[in-house]
Amino acid sequence: MPEALLQTGALTRRFGALAAVDGVSLAFAEGRVHAVIGPNGAGKSTFLNLLSGELRATGGLIHFRGADVTRATPDRLSRMGVGRTYQTANLFPELSCGDCVWLAAQSRLPSSMLFFRPAERYAQVGVRAARALEWCGLAERGRAIAGQLSYGEQRQLEIAMMLATEPSLLLLDEPLAGLGHDEALRIVELLRKVARGRTVVLVEHDMDAVFSISDSVTVLVDGRVLATGSPSEIRASPAVREAYLGEEIP
Amino acid sequence: MRRRLLLLAAAAALGGVAFSGDRFWLQFLAKAMIGSILAMSLDLLVGFTGLVSLAHSAFFGLAAYLLAGLTNRFDLVNPVVTLPLCVAFAAACALVIGWLSLRATGVYFIMVTLAFTQMLFYLFNDSPALGGSDGLYVKARPIEGRAAAYVAIWAAVVLVYLLLSRLLRAPYGRVLEGIRGNDQRMRSLGYPTRRYKLVAFVIAGALAGLAGYLDATLYGFVNPAQLGWRQSGLILVTVLLGGRGTLYGPALGALLLAFIEHYGERVTDHWNALIAALVIAVVLFLPRGLAGLVQGAPRA
Amino acid sequence: MSLSLFVLQVVNGVEYGLLLFLVASGLTLVFGVLGVLNFAHGSFYMLGAYLAWWLSERTGSLLLAILVAIPAMVLIGLAVERLAIARLYARDHLSQVLLTYGLVLLFNELQRALWGNDVHGVSTPRALAWTMPLGETQTWPAWRAFTALACVGIGVAMRQIVLKTRFGMRVRAGASNAEMVEALGIDVRRLFAILFSAGTALAGLAGMLAAPLTTVYPGMGESVLILSFVVVVIGGIGSIKGAFFGALLVGLADTFGKVLLPGFASAIVYAVMAAVLLWRPRGLLGPAFEGR
Repeated sequence: MPEALLQTGALTRRFGALAAVDGVSLAFAEGRVHAVIGPNGAGKSTFLNLLSGELRATGGLIHFRGADVTRATPDRLSRMGVGRTYQTANLFPELSCGDCVWLAAQSRLPSSMLFFRPAERYAQVGVRAARALEWCGLAERGRAIAGQLSYGEQRQLEIAMMLATEPSLLLLDEPLAGLGHDEALRIVELLRKVARGRTVVLVEHDMDAVFSISDSVTVLVDGRVLATGSPSEIRASPAVREAYLGEEIP
Repeated sequence: MRRRLLLLAAAAALGGVAFSGDRFWLQFLAKAMIGSILAMSLDLLVGFTGLVSLAHSAFFGLAAYLLAGLTNRFDLVNPVVTLPLCVAFAAACALVIGWLSLRATGVYFIMVTLAFTQMLFYLFNDSPALGGSDGLYVKARPIEGRAAAYVAIWAAVVLVYLLLSRLLRAPYGRVLEGIRGNDQRMRSLGYPTRRYKLVAFVIAGALAGLAGYLDATLYGFVNPAQLGWRQSGLILVTVLLGGRGTLYGPALGALLLAFIEHYGERVTDHWNALIAALVIAVVLFLPRGLAGLVQGAPRA
Repeated sequence: MSLSLFVLQVVNGVEYGLLLFLVASGLTLVFGVLGVLNFAHGSFYMLGAYLAWWLSERTGSLLLAILVAIPAMVLIGLAVERLAIARLYARDHLSQVLLTYGLVLLFNELQRALWGNDVHGVSTPRALAWTMPLGETQTWPAWRAFTALACVGIGVAMRQIVLKTRFGMRVRAGASNAEMVEALGIDVRRLFAILFSAGTALAGLAGMLAAPLTTVYPGMGESVLILSFVVVVIGGIGSIKGAFFGALLVGLADTFGKVLLPGFASAIVYAVMAAVLLWRPRGLLGPAFEGR
C-alpha cells in the first residue's frame, strides 16, 4: 500500500467562534490524485491554505514525509516540495510569462543571494523554466506580459509556475474556476499529464473533472469530513447526495 | 543603446569638470553627485524592492558623524581606514534598524523607518557631546583638495551605478523584482523574502553611508538636520522625479533637484513652495518621472 | 521623586496623551478608512494653533477664537480632500508619502508668508487661568484639566458615533471594504470627505487647545505628527481604541522620559515603539482589516 505522503491529524482552523476547518484527519497517499469537494463554505480553500502554510492552524497537526510541518512557513514548505496554484490568478502582473516562470524555477537554486553573474547565465534555471512553459503550452508566449494574458492562459501560467518549482506534492485550488468548456478540457488534460508520478490534492467544483482524474475523493461539509473513498463510492453515497441537495450532483 | 550613450556622455562630462578648476562647479556638482549616490541606493529599495524607507538619511548622517568622531577624537583620517569603517558602521546600523523595521509590512514599515530616523535625529540634536543642533566640524579631511574630492566622488558615483546594475541583473535582482511584484507569491515559491529585503536594506544603508562619508569629506561639517525625515523625503523626491526603478533616473533626478534648489533660492524667498509644487505636480501628472518620458513604453 | 511631583507627571502625561489621541485618532481613521497615509496631518495641528492665536488676538477671547476656528478647519479639510487627497485613493504608498510631503512644505510656506517666523504666546482665557493644587508642592493649570476633559468628551462622542449611529456603521464598513460599501449605494466620496474633514478638525482643535501651553511657532506640527505616527503604529491602523491607549502610553512615556532622562526623552518613545513592534508586528490592537 502506498505511503501517506501527507497526513493531517484533527486539523482545525477557527475564526473567532467559527470553525472553518474542524478536526479534519486525512491521509494522502503518494502518487495519487486526491480530490476534496463539498458545498460552498465547506472549508475547502481554508483547508488548502492550511496545507500550504499560508494560514496557521489553530489546532491539530500536519505531517509531510513524516515531518511535523504544522508550523512551517510557506517558503519552507515550498522548498520541501509543496507547490500550489491559486483560485484567482496570483502572478507577477508586470512581468513577462518567461520572467514569471524564471522566478519560480530560480527558487530551486540553493540560494538566490547571488550578486555578480547575470541571472541568464544560470543555465539550469533557464532549462527548467522553458520546460515548464512548454509543458503548459505557453512556449510561444514567453514575452507576453502576465497581466495581459487571457484568463485561460493565466491559469496555464499558474500551473507552469508551480511546475517550475519541481514539487512532489501539488495543491490545486479550483484550477478550472471560470473556464469555458473547451479551456477546461484542455486544463484537465494538462492536469492529468502533470499528475503522473506526483501527489495531488485537488479542490474543485467541476465534478466531471474530479471524477475523471481522481483516485480518491473526500467530501467536506461545514469544515468536517463527511466521507472519503473512491470516486464510485462517493458517487453512490446517499449521504453525499444529501449534502449536495440543491447543488449540482453528477 | 541610446540610453547607454546618454549615460556615458553624462559621466564623461561630469568627469571632465574635474579638470576645469572652477570652484563653484566643482563644489556644486560634487554635492549633486552625492545626491545621486543617495538616490540610486534608495531606488534599490523603493524602485526595485518596493520598500518605501524614510530612514535613508539616517545612514547618511551616521557615517558622516562617525568620520567626525574618528578624525576629531582619534586623529584617524586615512581614507583607507576611515572609509571602510564608516561604511561598515552604516551597514551595521542598517542591519539592526532593517531587522526591526522589516518586522512591519506595508505602511507600518514606512512609519517605523520614519520613527527610527527621528530618534537618531533627536539623539544627535539633543546631545551636546555629539555636537548638538550646531553639529560638528571635521578637523581633518580624508581627501584634501577640491579637485581630488571631486574625482573621488565622481568615481564613487560611477562605481555605485555599475555595482547596482550588476546586482540587479543577477539572480538577487530578479528576486527583488519578484518581491516588488508580489511578495506573498514569492514566499509561496520558496523564497524567504524578509531575508532578501534585509540584504537590500543593508546594501542601501551602506551606500547611503558612503554618501555621508563623502559629504563630510567635501564640506568638513556634519549636522543633525542631515538625519531628519525631511532629508529622507527629499531623497524620495529625487527618486520619483527621476523615475523609480530605473537606477539612472534617480541619479539624474538628484542632479536636477540640486539645480532647482540652487536656482530656486535665487529666484524667490519661497522656493520651498516651488519644490512643493514640483513634487505635487510630478506625483499627479508624471508618476513615472523623467525616465518615463525618455522611455515611453512601460518597463517590462 | 516626591509623590506630588510624580502625580504631576502622571496628570501631565495623561493630558498630553489625550491631546495626542485627538491628533492620532484623525490620522488613524483617515488611514484606516480612506487608505491614505497623510503626512500633512501635523500641518493641520499647526494651522489650528495659528488660527486660534490670530483670531484670539483679533477678538480678545481664545474660546471664541476656537469656536470660529473649528468650522474653518473643517472647511480647510474639505478643500484639501477634494483637491489633493481624493487623487490618492488607490495610489501607491510612495505617491501618498510624497504628495502629502509636498503639502507639508506648502503649508509651511503658507504659514511663514501669512504669519512670519516669530513665536507667539497665547493667553489662557481668564475663566480658566487659575491653577489647582496637586499634593503639597505642585499645582496644575485649570486649562490643562479643561483640555483633558474636552479630549475625553470628544473621545466618548466619537465612540458613540462610530458604534451607535448609521454613519458610524458606514465608517466601520468602509474601513473593512470600501468597494462593497460603494456597491451598496452609499456615497463613499461623501463619507471620505466627511471623515477627512473631521480628522482635520480634530488635529486643528488639538493645536488650538495646546496653543496656550506650548506657544505657537513654526514647525510645531512636526513633532506631534511623528509622535502620532508612533501612536498609530503602537495602537494599530484604523483602531480608535488603539489610538487611545497608544496615545496614553506615548504621552506618559514622553513626559516621564523628559523628567527622568532629559537627554534621551525623545529616544525613549521610539524605544517603546520598537518594543511594541517586536512583540506585536501589527500594533497592540492590530489593524481593523487586512491588506493595508
